[in-house]
Amino acid sequence: MSETLLEVENLRTVFHTDKETIHAVDGVSFDVSEGETVGLVGESGSGKSVTARSVLGLVDDPGVIEEGSIRFRGDELVGGNWDQHRGDIAIVFQDPMNSLNPVYTVGNQIKEALRIHQGLRGSEATEKAVELLEDVGIPDAARRVSEYPHQFSGGMRQRAVIAIALACDPELLVCDEPTTALDVTIQAQILELLDDLQREEDLGVLFITHDMGVIEETADRVNVMYAGEFVESAPVDELFEEPRHPYTRGLLASIPGRNAEGDRLPTIEGEVPTSTSEPTSCRFAPRCDYAFGACEEVHPGRVRVGDVDTDHEVACLLYDDTFEETPPEGGVEAHGGESA
Amino acid sequence: MLNRETLQRASGDGRTLAWLGIGLLLFLLEAGAAATFTMEALIKIALAVPGVDSAGFLTGLESAARSIPTLLSREAIPNQGYYNGSGYQETFLGLAPAVAWAIRATLVYVYAFGIMGWVVAGYRLYRSTYRKADWTPRDDVLDRLRSHNWGLFGLVIVFMFVTMAVFAPALGPTTVDQNMRNSYGNDISYWDSESGSVETIVVGEANLGSASRGNNQNVGPWSYDDYGRFHPFGTMQNGRDLFTFLMVGSRISLVIGVLSVGLSATIAASLALTSAYYKGRVDLSMVLVSDAVMAMPQLLLLIMLTTVLGDTWINEIYSGGFLLALIFAFTGWTYMWRSLRGPALQVSEREWIDAARSFGQRPTTIMRKHMLPYITGYLLIYGSMTLGGAIISIAGLSYLGLGVAPPTPEWGRAVNLGQDYVRTGSWHISLIPGILITLVVTGFNALGDGIRDAIDPQSDSAGDETAGAGAGA
Amino acid sequence: MSRAKYLGKRLLMAIPVVWLGATMTWFIIFMGPIDPAARLLSEGQVRNPAAYQAAQTQLGLNQPPLQHYFDWLSSLLVFDLGQTWLLYQGSNVNALIMDFLPRTLWLGFWSVLIAIFVGVPLGFYAGMRSNTVADYVASMGGIVWRAMPNFWLGIMLLALLGSSEAIFGFAWETVGPDLLTGISGNPDLTQLGTVDGFLRATKKVLPAAIVLGSASMGNEMRIGRTAVLEVKNQDYVELAKVKGVSKRSLVYKHILRNALVPLVPIITSEAFLLIGGSVLVETVFGINGIGYLFYQAAIQGDLPLVGTLMYVFILMIVGINLIQDVLYTLIDPRVGLEGD
Repeated sequence: MSETLLEVENLRTVFHTDKETIHAVDGVSFDVSEGETVGLVGESGSGKSVTARSVLGLVDDPGVIEEGSIRFRGDELVGGNWDQHRGDIAIVFQDPMNSLNPVYTVGNQIKEALRIHQGLRGSEATEKAVELLEDVGIPDAARRVSEYPHQFSGGMRQRAVIAIALACDPELLVCDEPTTALDVTIQAQILELLDDLQREEDLGVLFITHDMGVIEETADRVNVMYAGEFVESAPVDELFEEPRHPYTRGLLASIPGRNAEGDRLPTIEGEVPTSTSEPTSCRFAPRCDYAFGACEEVHPGRVRVGDVDTDHEVACLLYDDTFEETPPEGGVEAHGGESA
Repeated sequence: MLNRETLQRASGDGRTLAWLGIGLLLFLLEAGAAATFTMEALIKIALAVPGVDSAGFLTGLESAARSIPTLLSREAIPNQGYYNGSGYQETFLGLAPAVAWAIRATLVYVYAFGIMGWVVAGYRLYRSTYRKADWTPRDDVLDRLRSHNWGLFGLVIVFMFVTMAVFAPALGPTTVDQNMRNSYGNDISYWDSESGSVETIVVGEANLGSASRGNNQNVGPWSYDDYGRFHPFGTMQNGRDLFTFLMVGSRISLVIGVLSVGLSATIAASLALTSAYYKGRVDLSMVLVSDAVMAMPQLLLLIMLTTVLGDTWINEIYSGGFLLALIFAFTGWTYMWRSLRGPALQVSEREWIDAARSFGQRPTTIMRKHMLPYITGYLLIYGSMTLGGAIISIAGLSYLGLGVAPPTPEWGRAVNLGQDYVRTGSWHISLIPGILITLVVTGFNALGDGIRDAIDPQSDSAGDETAGAGAGA
Repeated sequence: MSRAKYLGKRLLMAIPVVWLGATMTWFIIFMGPIDPAARLLSEGQVRNPAAYQAAQTQLGLNQPPLQHYFDWLSSLLVFDLGQTWLLYQGSNVNALIMDFLPRTLWLGFWSVLIAIFVGVPLGFYAGMRSNTVADYVASMGGIVWRAMPNFWLGIMLLALLGSSEAIFGFAWETVGPDLLTGISGNPDLTQLGTVDGFLRATKKVLPAAIVLGSASMGNEMRIGRTAVLEVKNQDYVELAKVKGVSKRSLVYKHILRNALVPLVPIITSEAFLLIGGSVLVETVFGINGIGYLFYQAAIQGDLPLVGTLMYVFILMIVGINLIQDVLYTLIDPRVGLEGD
């Protein structure tokens, strides 16, 4: 068993605005080990990105990590200790357009990281930067190293961002929707690149996306996030074969090609609610076809489901033995959206 | 469902009646002023049309209009009276002139804010009871503006300024006609403490005695002069009442400002739409023209044009204010055009424009119907900021002795007239108008900020920054 | 390649702008409702046909308008600016401008410098500490400062400095170099080579420069603040933070350089404010600069001089615009790629 890199326990990140307090991340826990890819999946607004930013210590005013612990190799990070581990955790953002500083050359930005983390300077740093650009598959790297970000295409930029991340010599890579802004073909190339790099360097990866298809390809373990909480966590195969939570089933059913019989893709109606108070009910209940009376009154805890050796947890009262209601035969079917 | 709607209607009807009743009451309080204003305007028009001799009839109507009692008129709450040894004569309830004046000025503002509240209540009533749609995008804009304190501050300042301009004749402790234009044709009574009797003096003579000319002779803010006249802001270097001067001066600033901003907004919007619709060479030539106009600093262009056009008939209209507004519009549209061009270009890229084009809609209709609504918000923002700038520029020109012709009060001229006395006891002549300009311009800028944040919470564009600064005046 | 091309294009664009501006000026002055020849003459001379004829001939107004237009334009092009009529009667306009211009430039130089070195840092400071008391004070101050009319501010400042001994406890005249000729008026630019002469000339023009720069200072502060706020939350700043870039380098290298980009057009749009404002400020402070010269020419009716000076102003503004473009290409490598 490889070593655990990141341990997140009961993380709560809230945003205090003039009018209300938004619970963006509300008590999530997960681990990432060396060489492992942990997926975080959910709709926009579910709190995925805030989780990533919390891990990196990028939550700014008015946001604050109110509770919980984030440990990197056993060191507590919450409370401002990120600086000691800068470079150990790298990030790839969604939009490569905005992740590169427009007024400096790509090489300059890679070399900055090299100087800080590997102590390289001058021509040595330039050589290393070219090498890194080659590693991430940028052709003609020697020339490209002195070009500005706007001279790169979208896919190239994302490769450059990955090169910067690698220049930090990280152990954990956080990917916040790294392929969402890219074309499908480029998307596949970037995913492949990330996969190769992970295997070469034995990186731990926290992979965030709203795309179930991407998660199926990349992740070892998946956490499904809804309104700041994990509603289901399971190894990837288990989750895709036997999804338990109605929300997870909805997400899976809405992947094109997965539901054979219907002409229309099923949808989950409504939007992710903004959590402004402590939960007193299931936050998914208003959109859930299987909600029953208790769902409006009890906030579901996490229960273990499936075989003993699969680490599969779900937060849904249908699986809670204290309530009479059980999941319908053949599992909960996603709601076929007539109005879709 | 139907039942509830009917009920809502019914309760709405009751409230609507109350609302209409309050509106009628508010109107009746000022009905005289409204009637007089209408008649005066009609007479001016009748006189302007040659060959029609209906002026006599209209004059009759006008005097009838004047006799309608009006709450906020000088006649209803007079402050110009005199002390006769035992008490005040001819003032409101025999109160001291300062108190009578303060009551009138306060009432004017209470009335103005009453009107504002009435309009807001009317809109709320409409929104809750009569409007079919539950929600429109405009609701969000208004709600955002409502919670934007800085914008609201601007709105209040601007509203107070507009009230000042509208009610200028009622706000001053005296009138322009009596105190300035025709000061030797009016006389006043005053208590002569030396002789212990009520004397009469021509206003022009009295002004000579109430001049503020430094430490030896000064009538400062909130004081009486030797003739029992009360001066809230003190007197000017020629003995005239500064407050009256500034109140009436606000009118011309506002009229020129609104007129010029309206005109330049029209020019800027139509040119921005044209260049965004046709792009290419049309756009390029407009860029060149506007760059060329902008290459001549606006204030210098204003000086040059007011000099060149100073002797023409058009300069006779409204003490030169009309010409000034025209010049402003034709020199100032470029700044607004620049700011509008970006949004207009963005709209022109939208697919509904192509769609309209594809089914053969006329270009002017496309611009008006499909593009204009998307830039009106920006027009409001830049309009508000440009107005502040225009007020500074007009004041700057009057300071130099250009623009608004002398007997007509203008704020910048007050600054100029008091310039020599700033370091003496008569510092108020220059100081107060400057503070008022700063306050009003800040108000317009704040309102512009508020509207911008309400329309587009994301934006804080850089293009609008020069607008508020008034061409360097 | 594209940067040079961009600059070349801007230079090319400047030519029709100058031409159009000069043409409009000619039209207003010579085709307007006022006969410039009659305006130059006194009441008695106007009725004297011989004097009037002479004035017309010398102005070239006896030619057909088109001929006059070309003559006028070509003499401007070669800087053959003729002589004055009323103001400093009969003096060479070139010499007059050479005499008056340095004072305006000296004033403009200091007002730009003060505006930049006070406004920009203050704006950046407010932006870095957004929503603190310091930010509110600075922002409010900037807004009010910007709303104050220059001419009024000038009068008030002169009054304060004139009574500085009574108000502040020290006399402005005695701070630093003594001003023997009063606190306002013409700076002596002949002694700029010596330390004392330099300080004396600077101190003389300083109050006027503060007033003239006031509007710009407010603008720069505001834009600087907004720019910092905007840049602060960009992905590339966060990426740099994750890379482990030090706070200092984060602020100076990544935030401020980008925040300078939107400031460039503001600094040059101040050229309009400065040159326009110079009329009022020079009048208030009694400085014989070309703004004051323009105003005197206008009110005394020396219209040919007004037109000539306007041409000089147009050249100055177009020149400043070109400098802006050069600055732009230096700061922002993206320039020249967009909008083509």
